[in-house]
Amino acid sequence: MIISIWRYSHLLLAISSSLFIVIASITGSILAFEPISNQLQPFAIHNLDEISITEMVTALQSEYEEIIDVSVTNDDFVIASVITQEGNSETFYIHPSSGKKVGNLIEKEGIYKFATNLHRSLFLKSTGRFIVGFVSFLLLLIIITGTILIAKRQGGFKRFFSKVVKEDAKQYYHIQLGKLCWIPLVIITLTGVYLSLEKFSLLPNYKVTHQAVEASETAKKHIETANFSIFQNTMLAEIKTIEFPFSEAPEDYFLLELKNKELVIHQYTGEILSVYEYPIVALASYWSLLLHTGQGSIIWAIVLLLTSFSILYFMYSGFAMTLKRTKKQHIPKNIYKKSTAKFIILVGSETGNTYRFASMFFDALIANGQKAFITQLNTFETYENAEHLIIMTATYGEGEAPSNAKNFLSLLKKTSFDQKIKYSVVGFGSLMYPDYCKYAIDIDQSLQGHKNFEATIPIYKINNQSFTAFENWANAWADYTKIPISIKKPTANINLKKLREFKVIKRSRLNIDDTFTIHLQPVKKQKFQSGDLLSIYPEKDLIERQYSIGKIGNEIILSVKKHEFGICSSYLSQLSENDIVKAKIKRNPEFHFPKYANDIIMIANGTGIAPFLGMINENTDARNLYLFWGTRTKASTAIYKEILDESIASDRLTNLHISYSQETTQKEYVQDAIATQQNFIAQVLQNDGVILICGSVAMQNQVLHILETIIKSKLCMSLSDFENNEQILMDCY
Amino acid sequence: MKNTKFILASIFSILFIGMLTSFTAVENSKYKCMIQMKNYTGEGAYVVISLINNQGEYQQTLYVQGNDDEWYSDITEWWKFHGKRRPDIDAITGETISGGERKISIIEIPNDKIDAGYKIRFETAVEDQEYYTDDVEFELTSQSVKSKVEGKGFIRYIRMIPQK
Repeated sequence: MIISIWRYSHLLLAISSSLFIVIASITGSILAFEPISNQLQPFAIHNLDEISITEMVTALQSEYEEIIDVSVTNDDFVIASVITQEGNSETFYIHPSSGKKVGNLIEKEGIYKFATNLHRSLFLKSTGRFIVGFVSFLLLLIIITGTILIAKRQGGFKRFFSKVVKEDAKQYYHIQLGKLCWIPLVIITLTGVYLSLEKFSLLPNYKVTHQAVEASETAKKHIETANFSIFQNTMLAEIKTIEFPFSEAPEDYFLLELKNKELVIHQYTGEILSVYEYPIVALASYWSLLLHTGQGSIIWAIVLLLTSFSILYFMYSGFAMTLKRTKKQHIPKNIYKKSTAKFIILVGSETGNTYRFASMFFDALIANGQKAFITQLNTFETYENAEHLIIMTATYGEGEAPSNAKNFLSLLKKTSFDQKIKYSVVGFGSLMYPDYCKYAIDIDQSLQGHKNFEATIPIYKINNQSFTAFENWANAWADYTKIPISIKKPTANINLKKLREFKVIKRSRLNIDDTFTIHLQPVKKQKFQSGDLLSIYPEKDLIERQYSIGKIGNEIILSVKKHEFGICSSYLSQLSENDIVKAKIKRNPEFHFPKYANDIIMIANGTGIAPFLGMINENTDARNLYLFWGTRTKASTAIYKEILDESIASDRLTNLHISYSQETTQKEYVQDAIATQQNFIAQVLQNDGVILICGSVAMQNQVLHILETIIKSKLCMSLSDFENNEQILMDCY
Repeated sequence: MKNTKFILASIFSILFIGMLTSFTAVENSKYKCMIQMKNYTGEGAYVVISLINNQGEYQQTLYVQGNDDEWYSDITEWWKFHGKRRPDIDAITGETISGGERKISIIEIPNDKIDAGYKIRFETAVEDQEYYTDDVEFELTSQSVKSKVEGKGFIRYIRMIPQK
């Protein structure tokens, strides 16, 4: 499978430099503690901008025999090297106002020495330095390719920082963290590269040169050092080092190094004899060092620490994703030749998820004894015996084709068939992107206009890899073609021992439409919320079934429809009070009761009402809740009547609208009810209200269609805007 | 028999310790020493200041500019002397000196080594560049300890004056 050049380089760069990057980030995170612990020492002088050189020199001169030099570190410590009254040469931290010693120099601890060495040169001296410099450069390339990947995925650089669709936890956090740490990451690598370039003298050279220093006028009056105007006017915050004259000879001078220049000062007259301004390169080195090491700022050092950790996470999640992807990309082996196959499945997949679904469909056809052939869209050609073409494709970025499908449309123009072929297109995508299933739509349109192809069931779009939606499509396709295939749901990879126990509190009788409610209570205390999912794995087949949870008090309320041959629903329908159910709660933060919205519209059909029953119960701060619920007949409301009546009476539910689809009079679907409330819906969305949808995928699609129309006509915006804004939340099956 | 051996050993060791103390009892004098580097490019230079006897052998390390001992073995001549015993030189160690920079440090020299044929040697080495065994080397006399001496390698000159 061809993957995009960016992803390929991103991966290749990461693999080739992984070992070094791991070393660099581990040692980097150790080293981040050095400036932090230094800053926590009590030696920092916080009013350096108020103390002049004169003040310090006066204090030092009265305190010591002689001063060699004084320097101010990046951590705002002042170090003086002096000859004490006893004649000893000593170097220590001082307080510049008193000149008194405040502490001995912090000795670089062994661990930091070790980490610095490893970080900078891998203990390989110059060779190591070169490797580290080169790897920093590779890391920079990794960041660039990563940035391009995110931008492509998000659909343009403008959307770089907009919300990421959560398909897979590792992938999600890889991207989120990448966005979050983007700036510090770029700074770390750029400064790292810069510092390496400097080490290898690859930057323009600069030489500190002072004009031949000559005391201009010996006749000039000697003045006290303390009265030098340059010393009176320069604050310690500006200086790096001040070196005192070597001897009393008049040609010996003060050397004053400031942040941006250095000055030579006559030791008796205070005259500035020479000035050397540092070039840009020198200032850049100074800043690179500060930014790369975090010296002088605890906060930045902590940011660097976290960024080092994040790099480790990138390595882990990146490789885990690649491994998973290579597994996912396991394309089933074709048993039949393309020339003999009746069914051709063409796949367009960027990340391999679509392949997973295509394989299930392929397996189902093969299990049914059909001659099926599966391949990627890019290899499209003439298939002599094909009768059915099934195209499953994702969309990448801004409505573009996934990389293994890019050539399909042009191939289609070139390829001709002797026979008529029936086709069906399935698009995989996420409603959070503006170009939802765009590429599938493009393919569908091109096929419509093609003389060799004949439509079967209309294009089918699948949001966020919903298995149920996929199953629905497969059933529709099977109905149309009269080929009774059944998609085998992959067995859950679950450790049954980790399941929790839930006690049945009560179960309603079977309603007229075969639905019932069941109240469960976790045996051990557990955190959950309405909108979370309860996964149940019946012993018979161990296939996961999920039910949306409504939380009332500490109880879970589920609404279940009993299917005639449904293993799980039958099992639940036979439970009685105090029975124990083993299950697992899956947090579903994308479908929780909105914390801040004032107006909340809840749309459900059938058993999709369950989470809303819990949410209504949660509405204790008098927010406006509107429930639109679709069900079959008036009789089907029986099992919910008590709760709903109570909700209205207690004012926790502002308005309830029930649509009956099977009543003889006044047939209405829930989407029809929505369609009559256009102004209301638009107003709620405009006032930052939230719409929640729970129920069947069919209902979801209808409702979304209507919402889109309303949003376009009334608000001139698009559905995905509100979805990105978390104003439309969905949990459909 | 054993006892005599032990007594002998004790006597010798006492004598030896006595000799040592008599050596260290010699007064040291402090000198201010400034090293001014040439404007070379590249890493900071390691500068080792040593005391050399009249046979040309290393006697004592007076100061080391450069505190990353990973590189000490690259200062090969000195390393042959220092590397064998590796005495603690933390108190007389500073940072490397880059091109164009100057550095003032205080070194201590035993008084009996002045005007006695002993030499002071400044050895320099820069990563991936030359190594100068005797960048600066001169005999220690009461005149030379307050003079300025030009260097042959990375050092432009050194200046020394006795500390009052």
